[in-house]
Amino acid sequence: MTIGTFILKNALRNKRRATLSILSVAISLFLLVLLLVALREITLPVEGAGAELRVAVRNKISIANLLPAKQLPVIEKIPGVEAVTPFTWFGGKYKGEQGMTFAQFALDPKKLRGVFTEARMPAENYAAFENERDACIIGKITADKYKLKVGDKITLESTVYPVTMEFKIVGIYAGTPDDRNMLFRQDYLDESSGLKGQVGMWWLKVKSAEDMPKVIAAINKAFANTSAEVRAESERAFQLSFISMWGNIKLLVMLICSAVIFTLLLVSASTMSMAIRERFRELAILKAIGYRRRELFAFILAESFGLAAAGALIGVGGAYFLFTYGDVGKMTNGMFPSFEVTSRIVGIGALVASLLGIVASIMPSIAVAKMSVTDGLKTLD
Amino acid sequence: MNPVTVILGVFPLAFAGYVLWLIYAVATSPIPLPYNFKSVLVRWRSTAATILGVALVVTVFILLHAMAAGLERSSANTGDPRNIMIVRKGSTAESSSVVMREQYKVIQYLPQIARDAQGRPIISADLVVIINLPRREGAGEANVTMRGVTPMGKELRPQVKLAQGRWFTPGKREAVVSMKMARRFADTDIGQKFRTGGNDLTVVGWFDGSDSAFDSEIWMDADEARSIFDRENYSSLLARLANTNDAPAFADRVESDKRMALRADFETKYYAEQTLTAMPIKILGSFLAVAMSIGAVFAAMNTMYAAVGARTREIGTLRVLGFRRRVILASFNLEGAILAGIGGVIGCALALLAQWLCVAFGVHFGTLSFNTFSEVIFQFRVTPLLVAEGMIFAIVVGVVGSFLPAIRAARLPVIAALKAM
Repeated sequence: MTIGTFILKNALRNKRRATLSILSVAISLFLLVLLLVALREITLPVEGAGAELRVAVRNKISIANLLPAKQLPVIEKIPGVEAVTPFTWFGGKYKGEQGMTFAQFALDPKKLRGVFTEARMPAENYAAFENERDACIIGKITADKYKLKVGDKITLESTVYPVTMEFKIVGIYAGTPDDRNMLFRQDYLDESSGLKGQVGMWWLKVKSAEDMPKVIAAINKAFANTSAEVRAESERAFQLSFISMWGNIKLLVMLICSAVIFTLLLVSASTMSMAIRERFRELAILKAIGYRRRELFAFILAESFGLAAAGALIGVGGAYFLFTYGDVGKMTNGMFPSFEVTSRIVGIGALVASLLGIVASIMPSIAVAKMSVTDGLKTLD
Repeated sequence: MNPVTVILGVFPLAFAGYVLWLIYAVATSPIPLPYNFKSVLVRWRSTAATILGVALVVTVFILLHAMAAGLERSSANTGDPRNIMIVRKGSTAESSSVVMREQYKVIQYLPQIARDAQGRPIISADLVVIINLPRREGAGEANVTMRGVTPMGKELRPQVKLAQGRWFTPGKREAVVSMKMARRFADTDIGQKFRTGGNDLTVVGWFDGSDSAFDSEIWMDADEARSIFDRENYSSLLARLANTNDAPAFADRVESDKRMALRADFETKYYAEQTLTAMPIKILGSFLAVAMSIGAVFAAMNTMYAAVGARTREIGTLRVLGFRRRVILASFNLEGAILAGIGGVIGCALALLAQWLCVAFGVHFGTLSFNTFSEVIFQFRVTPLLVAEGMIFAIVVGVVGSFLPAIRAARLPVIAALKAM
């Protein structure tokens, strides 16, 4: 019998306990990965390929205030601006659903490809979107969710405008970081709502990254001291401003969750060290026949580390496979569209597991070191 | 009947029945309790870890749901039962609602509206605008609800009391800020100025909204607000009825206006419906509680299996003395339930302690409300129902976690058990 098989046999001697220990470690680590991924999703803005060249312009009072449409020619004339489109939130409810399950925005169909470069859709769909007044295009996630296809009509009741509008789907796009939104034409919204001359935001693309700061400064300056002052900022800064709005909730949820994961890990450590405490007599025999302390430590550490590693494999690995190959977007009703388990998160999981393996072996190791052979042999438990 | 509801209805009953039977079995054939107690003490480390595990699962369950309860209360607590709120039909927030000035002019003279001592109708036309303000200590920005109110607006909302300073003067660019908001946002101390809509507003007072939704607002004069934010119309109307029985007739009259479809309903009902924000937290709370309780069940099983293993000889002795198998089962199963119950008590105590600390130090939390799209202030709210749910949760973990070990104990063959070392 080699030392390796000796350790393995010891670890699996009480199969039920080994299984329970491994599973409780696995669950803790699964939860840890889940929370880390969820936290990353809400604190890290989604970014498309064209994000570094995009600028968002909103009313300086707040995003909930509209902007006059007459600002468009002023923005278009600013050097460095390549394409500008209005981007107006419609806040529509679909099929009498309680809440809003996907967002809808009105924009200029001719500028769509110029500003949101990453959206992928066949050319004839783009053409239809440009030509038909009541046309709309929807993201693939929403299309799949409601089983919508090109040619279908959908009706949306706005919570922001006093209108209910009917749209014809002329295309389904994919390739943006969040393929949930429905996009339709600003001119159709103007006409239906009767509120001409107002848009929600401006989104624009600048010619190069060097132009970005100049363009932002120029736009902010152009409308300073007018009745509709604006705030222009990079897409990234704009998305980050939403994260600040979450306020304390992120911290609270994080605190609570980390407390619990910590406890579950402590409990797992305690059950793991229980397995070793119950073997005191054997360890005393090993000591009596000449094994040295550090060899006994190695046995204990290897076993506890092995259990933790097995738990990590199931917990972290399971989370990785479930979130990478499972459709989390569908499971959470589109709340978390990507849910990516990054290598950093896997690393954190592995690190916590290793720490757990070490921590769980500390107490038994100390006890073994202190024990005299005769006392150990007398242990009943 | 839906089979799911049958199962959901039958399961708790069966579980409660089983727990009662456990108690009955142990009570009618008493194994001395000190025996269980001393046995538990021998293995104090793993027992303590199990209890602690259950305790923290319960704490998390209660605190997350207490957050949701606090968020819901921050709006459910709002409103006066005599008041009717009028908003644009289809709008889900006052900030996206529009009531035209002509409509206000007509509605204010409707006969159902109560009148004050001077004979003026008790109705307020408000303008609600979401403004973006910087947080204190430069920690980013957030949306805040700014409410422009007419003089009657204060009278209609007795929950709002002036805490410091004075009320704004109509016709002046002055604002009164909720005390709890003032702690979170820059330039909102009395005497300071903050900038919005191209104008400076001077903070002249702080108000206390008595834990209502108004605690998340800044108030100013309605007409000043209309001029600053360049709005022709109002967002909502709030009217007091002389007799609440007139509400249906009043609502019919208001909703019959064709120019802009309106919706009239009790103010309390309007706010009670604003529960969107708490939903994700509730779901997270329940999900985490279930997932963690599985971990806690494994830990409890390990501890109880070890307890059974260590007490094999004693179990054999008890059997020889004439204790039935089911009494052994009940004894171990109940031991697990009691251990988890202790964990539950500790968990509830921890949650209450967290709430008490927050109240004692005046800590409030803020987050983005999905209803108003602006910051809402809230506080943990541990309700008696949550405490009860937490305890039930703990006991379920204990009973489930010790069931298999208890079965094993009950099935031990007497002779083998006696021979065990």
